[in-house]
Amino acid sequence: MHREQKIRVVLFLLSAAVFFIGLPFILSSALGYRFNPRALRFTKAGLIAIKTQPAGASVYLDKKLINGKTPTTITELLPGRYHLRIVLEDYYPWAAEVDVEAGKVARFEKIILFPTRLDIEKLNSDNCLSFWFDDKRGIVYYINRQDRGIYKSDLNKEDLEKICDFSGELGVPVRWKVSADGEKLLCFDARRLVVVPLHPQGGAGVEISPFASNITQESIVDAFWHSDNYHIIFVTQKNISVVEARSDSKPLILAALNKENTSCYYDAKADTLYFLDLQQAADGALYNNIYRLDLNTRFSAFKEMLKLRTNGQGHKDKKNP
Amino acid sequence: MDRAIKIRRTLEIIPGALSWGIILFLITLALFKPVAGAVVIIAFDFYWIIRTAYLTTLLVMAYHKLFRERDRDWTAEYLSVGQKKDWQRLYHLVIFPAYNEEPQTLRPSLEALVGSLYDKEKMIVVMAFEERDRNCRDTAEILENEFKGRFFGYQSSFHPDGLSGEGRTKGANATWAAKKAREFIDSRGIDYKDVIVSCFDADTCADKNYFACLTYHFLTSGNPHQASYQPIPVYNNNIWQAPSFARIVEITSSFCQMIESMRLEKFVTFSSHSMSFKTLVDIGYWPVDMVSDDSVIYWKAYLHFKGDYRVIPLYTTVSMDVAYSSSFFKTIVKQYKQKRRWAWGVENFPFLMQGFLRDREISVIKKIRRGFHLLESHVTWAVWAIIIVLIGPLPIFFGGAFFNQMAIGYNLPKITGLLFNFTLITSFTWIILSRTILPARPKEISWTKNVLMVAEWVLVPFIILVLGSTPALDAQTRLMLGRYMLFNPTVKRG
Repeated sequence: MHREQKIRVVLFLLSAAVFFIGLPFILSSALGYRFNPRALRFTKAGLIAIKTQPAGASVYLDKKLINGKTPTTITELLPGRYHLRIVLEDYYPWAAEVDVEAGKVARFEKIILFPTRLDIEKLNSDNCLSFWFDDKRGIVYYINRQDRGIYKSDLNKEDLEKICDFSGELGVPVRWKVSADGEKLLCFDARRLVVVPLHPQGGAGVEISPFASNITQESIVDAFWHSDNYHIIFVTQKNISVVEARSDSKPLILAALNKENTSCYYDAKADTLYFLDLQQAADGALYNNIYRLDLNTRFSAFKEMLKLRTNGQGHKDKKNP
Repeated sequence: MDRAIKIRRTLEIIPGALSWGIILFLITLALFKPVAGAVVIIAFDFYWIIRTAYLTTLLVMAYHKLFRERDRDWTAEYLSVGQKKDWQRLYHLVIFPAYNEEPQTLRPSLEALVGSLYDKEKMIVVMAFEERDRNCRDTAEILENEFKGRFFGYQSSFHPDGLSGEGRTKGANATWAAKKAREFIDSRGIDYKDVIVSCFDADTCADKNYFACLTYHFLTSGNPHQASYQPIPVYNNNIWQAPSFARIVEITSSFCQMIESMRLEKFVTFSSHSMSFKTLVDIGYWPVDMVSDDSVIYWKAYLHFKGDYRVIPLYTTVSMDVAYSSSFFKTIVKQYKQKRRWAWGVENFPFLMQGFLRDREISVIKKIRRGFHLLESHVTWAVWAIIIVLIGPLPIFFGGAFFNQMAIGYNLPKITGLLFNFTLITSFTWIILSRTILPARPKEISWTKNVLMVAEWVLVPFIILVLGSTPALDAQTRLMLGRYMLFNPTVKRG
């Protein structure tokens, strides 16, 4: 036999030996078994998989430091309860009691370690009453407590610009909602709605000036932009109403509510308002029901209501006709 | 149905049925018993890591041997043994079966023979054309005008189309050419024992030392008539011009052949090779109705000599063209078809098994071993890439919450990842080796191509998926269903 062939045979036998000796260990390890050299037998163990954000944290299991930083896997653990503690300098430690089961993995792969020294930066230079962050454009809008103007600023405190100067007052808390076309900002508190055009020069859609109006005597629970970006649906303690986004618009009450502190959700895609209200049943008892009010101009009576309103007629409450 | 046909059909079904059986079994296991599926996949992955390491080591050894033997003065070597063995009586018959090749493709092959260090007065060249090629007479005339008189014998043969019992195969053309050459040899009174026949693909450019090396091995090996002589095929003719995708495939093919050259007990002839003309005549020439004539000829000889036949590796190169086309997609299709034709070598299995069933002299152990090697190599070829790339991740995706909370569910992707990391190490070895076998960069090719030739190895996972197992599985499925392939010669460029 040639020398190369002899080497090849040795290599082949060596490879076969590595395969047949290594395979049981690899498979048993993959299945979660650990070899106990004292007992000369395999014991089924469990493991803990740890990933942290940021990585590189130290891991303590039952107060013992584990070799290696996160992300890491602690293998060959006998079944039982362990105290897991993850420590990284300048971050709050993370801890949990972990139940390890034989042949199973306990996954802790979404751990976020929060820094102890938070990086907080002041973005405005004025006395701020309330703010809204436009995440699409990276712009902060805020109300200056002194002059009640609405300002916009980028995150670097530059490009400070007063976009609205209205004399009215908004109480705290102020809530902010931008229209679907991104052109108008709706700010409201318990009593007032304020609409601010974000791009007075280049904006598309209905041209409106900034306005604020005391539209209701009842507290506003919530307000929403209709998908036409012109109507605002707002829910008070007593009514569901709609108002056009212009200063001389009068609210139209669509429905009266029996429940004072209702909760509501507006599906802007379908222009549908879901709300909770009380209704007296035949047995005389009051029940909380979930109602749906379709405000889609294409398919619903809302269109007709708007026509009626234009004609100066009243509305019909489908719930309480 | 005739019993012989039943046996043949059964044997034809076995490789494809085994490959599909393994694939479907593993898919079922991975989907419905993900833990058991993961165990089998991890075992296979580990087996593949060991196998890859083993084969890469063999590749390095083959390279070492190639570089050691490439620079040997083979002329001096055969001359030194020739005083006793009488090398002067030896003649080399070189057959180039061609179909649709133009003179510019065939000319370099003949020029390589002219440039050989071996005595041209000991060479007989036959350009074997297919008569159904309309331009063959013109091509033959052009080449005859250029090369006739430069060898001891030069002739063109024209294989008639549609001969009874023949398929449109390269083997039929080569056999016709060999019979014509036999008439020439007879007319010169040359003993068949003194003729070594080399059947080269039309684009084969033999190294200048090839015939000297072949002569040395023929003279020095015991019983030279019971051996085939297999050089290392490389695809250097147009490797600098070929697109990266095709280049990687062909370099990998060369590597596989080098690895095989180290495994003598499995080594079978492939593509361009040489053998004794006497043996060729005795065993009835190449098969005229089979596509994989280059390997079937080995098994014919093996059966003829009752298992006492071997392949002797020649650590010298024959260079061919990389098969590529005008666009990326066309190149993939061309490469796919070429690899499927190579994989059609699975037809050797029923051929060999039928021979074994008829034979009463070859030992049962030898029959089992050779039969198993042949079957295993084809089945492995058809399934390995599919198991690693497609079936491997199935338990992770379809195992569900139960599987993902199991230790093996956690370990499976890690072990699979380890496999790919290991593949990167072997790929790195292959990249280095591929650089050493390249011919010098032509002047018109920019030096930046050197960088591209390293970077293009990132295509390996894609190549594995498209050209790893799929063509082999395709070929085996066709054989299993009795949809026999016709010989479809690869037009290497254009």
